[in-house]
Amino acid sequence: MNSNTARNFVLRNLLLCAAAIAITSCGTATFSKTGSDAQIESLRNFELAFIDEFAVPGKRFNATAFDVKVNEGNAKFQQVITNEKFTARRPVLVDLKGQFDADATHLRSKASRGKVTPALAGEMKKDVNKVYDHALGR
Amino acid sequence: MPSAGKTKHRKSSRKTSRKSSALDSALDQVTDESVAASMKEFQDLLAQAKGDTSELIRQNAQELEERLVLLKKRKIDKEDFDFFLENQKRDLRVFIDSQPAQSQERAEKLTLHILEIAATKVVPVLIMMI
Repeated sequence: MNSNTARNFVLRNLLLCAAAIAITSCGTATFSKTGSDAQIESLRNFELAFIDEFAVPGKRFNATAFDVKVNEGNAKFQQVITNEKFTARRPVLVDLKGQFDADATHLRSKASRGKVTPALAGEMKKDVNKVYDHALGR
Repeated sequence: MPSAGKTKHRKSSRKTSRKSSALDSALDQVTDESVAASMKEFQDLLAQAKGDTSELIRQNAQELEERLVLLKKRKIDKEDFDFFLENQKRDLRVFIDSQPAQSQERAEKLTLHILEIAATKVVPVLIMMI
């Protein structure tokens, strides 16, 4: 009887521990996922602000300011990719970096020749929002 | 009275398909038979994509059409158009790869194939019209 009570006690504690671990790990995953989403939103805002700053029709192209911003973007993307806890999300972040690189190359080419139009800026922002929405599974 | 109703109806239908009409009317001007056949194939595929059940396929077709109209109106140039086309392709490849094997061919036909026809056959025609 005593040995049965002890076995039940151990079993109950084991079950409680397993439940606690499961609940805690779920909470951590949700918390990390939220943090990861926030990082992606931060990259989206950076890229939209970048387009707003440099895709302005008629604005004189400032190569130095442009390069500073691109370097800032590169560092930001690199940091987010390195710190990403979900390894499955890294390829998505690399795709987003590819979008940023493509935007920067096209924008430099157009802005340096004074060939930015309002439609170009609008369509670029539309594409950025679309690719980030897809990255976030929306 | 009936004629007023008719006008109202015509106005609203024109409003909903304004962009489609702008592109269609431009492409309908093509008289060369072999080119006209390509334009017809493109218009049919575009219409099919715009009515697809997949939101991404519909969205892709809508964006392509809008950008062709922007190109025709000279609001963007060919460099911009090619840039947006590459963006669309990059985005779509992920989508197609995520589809079940049996759906991939159809998804590709209604997305990447349409973009290819637009780039190689429709854009040169639109640029000639500018």
